[in-house]
Amino acid sequence: MSTESKPMHFIGAGETFMPPSYSPWAQTWHLLLKNRMALAGLLIFLIFFIVAIIGLIVTGGVDPILDPARVRLQEKLRPPLSLPKTDTLRKEELPALGIYLLGTDDLGRDVFVRMLQGAWVSLTVGFVAVGIAVGIGILLGGLSGYYGRLSIRLYHILFWSLVVTVAGFTFHQRFWAAALLLTVTITAVAWKRRLDSRLLPLPGPLRWLAMPTLQVDTLIMRAVDIMLCFPSFFLILTVVALLPPSIYNIMVIIGLTSWMGTTRFVRAEFLSLRELDFVAAARALGISDARIIFRHIMPNAIAPVLVSATLGIASAMLTEAGLSFLGFGVPPPHATWGNILSDGKAYIFDAPWLTFIPGVVILIVVLAFNLFGEGMRDIFNPKLRERN
Amino acid sequence: MLAFFGRSVIQKIVTLFFVSVVSFLIIHLAPGEPSQIDPLNPKFTPEMVERMRKEFNLDKPLHIQYLLFYRNLFNGRIVSWRDNLPVLGKIWERFLNSLPLFIVGTLLTWTISFPVGIRSAIQRDGIYDKSTTFLSYLLISIPGFFFAYILIIFVVTKLHVPVIGMETFGVTASSPLVRIMDRTWHLVLPSILGATGGVAVLSRYVRGQMLEIIGQDYVRTARAKGLSSETVYYKHALRNALLPFVTMFGLILPGLIGGSVIIESIFSWPGMGRMAYEAILGRDYPVILTINFLTAVLVLAGTLVSDLLYMVVDPRIKI
Amino acid sequence: MNPEPHSDLLLSVKNLKVHFQGVGPVAKAVNGVDFKVRRRQTVCIVGESGCGKTVTALAILGLLKQPPAVIAGGEIFFDGLSLFDLPASQMRNLRGKRIAMVFQEPMTSLNPVFTIGDQVGEAVLVHEEVSDDQARRRTIQLLYDVGIVEPEKRLNDYPHQLSGGQRQRVMIAMALACEPDLIIADEPTTALDVTVQAQILRLLKRLKQDKEMAIQYITHDLGVVAAIADHVYVMYAGVVVEQGSADAIFSKARHPYTMALLDSLPTKEKRGQRLYSIPGSVPHPAYRPLGCPFHPRCRYCEPSCEKAFPDFFDYGKGHEARCPVLYKSGVGEKDR
Repeated sequence: MSTESKPMHFIGAGETFMPPSYSPWAQTWHLLLKNRMALAGLLIFLIFFIVAIIGLIVTGGVDPILDPARVRLQEKLRPPLSLPKTDTLRKEELPALGIYLLGTDDLGRDVFVRMLQGAWVSLTVGFVAVGIAVGIGILLGGLSGYYGRLSIRLYHILFWSLVVTVAGFTFHQRFWAAALLLTVTITAVAWKRRLDSRLLPLPGPLRWLAMPTLQVDTLIMRAVDIMLCFPSFFLILTVVALLPPSIYNIMVIIGLTSWMGTTRFVRAEFLSLRELDFVAAARALGISDARIIFRHIMPNAIAPVLVSATLGIASAMLTEAGLSFLGFGVPPPHATWGNILSDGKAYIFDAPWLTFIPGVVILIVVLAFNLFGEGMRDIFNPKLRERN
Repeated sequence: MLAFFGRSVIQKIVTLFFVSVVSFLIIHLAPGEPSQIDPLNPKFTPEMVERMRKEFNLDKPLHIQYLLFYRNLFNGRIVSWRDNLPVLGKIWERFLNSLPLFIVGTLLTWTISFPVGIRSAIQRDGIYDKSTTFLSYLLISIPGFFFAYILIIFVVTKLHVPVIGMETFGVTASSPLVRIMDRTWHLVLPSILGATGGVAVLSRYVRGQMLEIIGQDYVRTARAKGLSSETVYYKHALRNALLPFVTMFGLILPGLIGGSVIIESIFSWPGMGRMAYEAILGRDYPVILTINFLTAVLVLAGTLVSDLLYMVVDPRIKI
Repeated sequence: MNPEPHSDLLLSVKNLKVHFQGVGPVAKAVNGVDFKVRRRQTVCIVGESGCGKTVTALAILGLLKQPPAVIAGGEIFFDGLSLFDLPASQMRNLRGKRIAMVFQEPMTSLNPVFTIGDQVGEAVLVHEEVSDDQARRRTIQLLYDVGIVEPEKRLNDYPHQLSGGQRQRVMIAMALACEPDLIIADEPTTALDVTVQAQILRLLKRLKQDKEMAIQYITHDLGVVAAIADHVYVMYAGVVVEQGSADAIFSKARHPYTMALLDSLPTKEKRGQRLYSIPGSVPHPAYRPLGCPFHPRCRYCEPSCEKAFPDFFDYGKGHEARCPVLYKSGVGEKDR
């Protein structure tokens, strides 16, 4: 072959004949714009968010602009868009908007104002519950996926039993015993750390303390199995019924009973990601575990977790509504869409708006979350991504 | 194979043990006791409460209570705190009531979801696909009891048929044919309601699974052989797409208990879900714990069955 | 209509254009391809990945997913039949019976839940009225033909129980089931070990002779081309840039792309030297340069190349190349 060649000036002179490269976020946004159902979901979600915040402002505080708890017995069960009878109401009882936009309930409370207040409550229930579930899920799933092969040794168990005992003594006000045990624990930990820093093993007679028992992964996954044995709605119902009724209990319980899916998912992501070359390369460079987890693995695993969180919010809101229906929901005076709906069921033939307004609103908002979440799931699906 | 079976059975028994401990702890560590449920009731004198505590072993330490409870459960001697009837007998009776609801609901779910999901996948992004997709999301998003009320209003006002309960009051005196018709009619609405959510979720899942398989190389191979599209879809693709559903089949067993609390409450259906709900309301711990335990057994048996089924249907898995 | 009916011309593809409409601009994967396959001939289509070889093959069999693919123009004639005008049912009868295809990935191209006996037998049963027993015997014979040892025992195996080479043999047996006139083999050896690759190539050569079939062999590997080709088409960025007999292509390539491909081939003479690699990369199908698609990477590029894509220049005996620069200057003619 001839060795003469032309200068390669035309290579890399700005013409690459490759598609322009977009950042992943720009790409996501582009795909989202094409998915009209997901976009509609996002839009409704944003509106709902704004309404919930407005609702918090106008119905909260000691003397709210719109009082959701104002009872007007002479005005009960008025249909939507009816005007108040000004002659029978005292001045402070008049609705601030001058009209019952969505009617009144059996106590003459303004349904529109109650719905406004309920928006915030429903939003918090959804977000806090899912926040707890996702938090636990990421923590346990990450531990299980990244440190899963490490063994729990006897001294770990010993340490935690000591901690629990100390807590127990403190709780029962035996402070001396607690202090004594705490000193023992701290000394033991300090001693072990010093051994570790010198890379020394435990001395012979204590070697049995280092005996491995279970693997971290086994422990966490068995815990997931155990939790999955409880029918979730039944479990939530049981616990909610046993605890004093409160909005916070409901959020926490929904959260504590729905972390298993996220845990399994995050674990699977971590397991596959930690085997990939970029993680191996990072480890070869001596980068710390924390940095590998938070800088290299987490960004790759987080998007699908957030997607399932969106779907989780939808289902948490439905669960709250279901609990309210059975009479275990958020207690008064908080109005939630669930309890407005379940209060309305007694008047379903006389005042159908009491059922239909909260029912349809819940439907729309939950639908928005579901459409947005499923749309994002499609968008993050790598098989769909490749095609563009 | 046998070793695998043995190992999973042992593992499941260990899990069951922990489930029993956890559920026992949840119930007993929560504030409040059944003896305090109704402090205003004049019948609940302090002596009465004390007698109740003794009778139900509430005065003993927790681990002794635990042992006594599960010993009684296995002996079948466990009784409800409300009416002193044996719990297992009560559950069996309610179970028989729930069973038709469950069977009809499950049949509806599985027979509707598959054709719908498969057709959506084949006609991807067509009108049929888009409308079923939207409809599924709608059904997933609607609060169950709200939907139930809409249906009840519709049926009662338009069709003038009773829908609440398992049968119309006083129908027992009528001829067998009328009774069967009556029972069937009462079964329809709650079963449909129980199935809607399931259909929505399952058909989406079938669609996703089918889409994934249709994109596989071996489906292209089947087409290249000159097979008709029916054979390609319903033999080559479907057979592969069905594999994961075998695992789900084992998991529907627990739905017998957990899934029906709301629907049975709405329709006053004297089934297990309603029983659980009543037990929770009345803090009837033996009933709650027994139902919980039986559910866990069903869940674990279900996973075991689906593992075994999977081995049967997927030639790649051999142990 | 087909200009040469009932001649030895088996397949002719004329000005085929396949576009993909996805997100963003249209990707012109195949942008005006012409080629012919004669009976009992082995035709190789060579090119880098992404140049449109596989899409062309799928278009012939009517296996493109439409959408996103769109047949934007051109015609395909198979034995006098215009394939794009054929009704779907007749097209289906053609597939597997007269044109069969062997795919690149033997690992994923066999259905994991059916036995290989089922899958090969199905290819027989779908096109021929034979009893199950006859189909079974045919299957055994086919498996024997492609060199599967003890085919009776292998019938009930599932694909995962076979090695990659064995699976590709099964794929070939499936393609042979109805003794087609044409087998399209899409990189059938790429996923296999070199030793297995040689066995499969030998098998294809032998079968071609025994069964009097034509083979359209798609590959990126010039070594394979040298081993089996009668006639070669070199594709780049959705078009054919050079065609000719295997001898002509290897001894006097007349297109800079073909020459560059040959230069990047390791040979004995080049031992110890740094191997040539073509600068730049294949343009994305939606962002192709104007003029000759190869000009940004071409060492003989002239200003005119950036404006218009030239037609073929004839070098005799069916050897043609689309490069005016080399045609005029005669550069490199004596080197080979």
